[in-house]
Amino acid sequence: MAKVYTGRDGRLLLGSNILVKVTSWTLQADLETLECTTLGDSQRNYVPGVQSFSGSAALLYYVDSDNTNDASTLLQKLVRTSGVTTSDTVSLTLRLTNGGTNNDVTLTAYITSASIGASVGEVVSAQISFQGTGALTTANL
Amino acid sequence: MAYPTYKPTSRNFSAGNYSYKTFKSQSGKETRILYGDKRTGMTLDLSYENIADTVADDFITHYDEVKGGFSTFTLPNEVRTGWSGTAGAIDVPTGNNWRYESPPSITSVRPGISSVTVKLVGVL
Repeated sequence: MAKVYTGRDGRLLLGSNILVKVTSWTLQADLETLECTTLGDSQRNYVPGVQSFSGSAALLYYVDSDNTNDASTLLQKLVRTSGVTTSDTVSLTLRLTNGGTNNDVTLTAYITSASIGASVGEVVSAQISFQGTGALTTANL
Repeated sequence: MAYPTYKPTSRNFSAGNYSYKTFKSQSGKETRILYGDKRTGMTLDLSYENIADTVADDFITHYDEVKGGFSTFTLPNEVRTGWSGTAGAIDVPTGNNWRYESPPSITSVRPGISSVTVKLVGVL
């Protein structure tokens, strides 16, 4: 059956836990290309370099009935009194689900930016950006 | 093994000079004595960007075979790729050869890929 994916099919997981109140996520995959054009060539030639993965997400600053706050968990990876160390990575899974079928991208990442604000008449939300480190754990888009 | 037959990604040639000596009198008049009829001391800098490591090590192999800067050698036509002028204009004159001015330099770019720079000087 044909399937058009929408925001309703999107999920963001921290570890194995689905984060609630996520309003958006994006994933950016890049490949560095290394030029190997030689003298006499009329067109540029390249060899593949290293890949990189980054992205962003927006979450409502929301306390669940069990007193968990998913946005806070991510924010505290960067908004903290102590410095960020190599152990402060998170495992993020960006998912598009289709019933029992999940199309996942899982990566280990550092939270590289976080912003949060409060405005009259608006729900408080947090925006985070993340930078993947190492290879993707799952790539099943 | 002859010099590797790969096309460089950039090339810089400096034409060298003829051997002569300049004498200047107290009046300022200059006298020059020519000691040779062949231009020498030309330099050729070659870059090979983002090539396979297995290609890059050919330069070291050749460097070993000519005992570093000790022995001289000629260059293949590939070195002059992209040059549409007279081939001899960016080569050593007849009777001259090239030798290494400094060891080939290899910069590792990523696993399996490196960049090599070679500096040569033309000698009689």
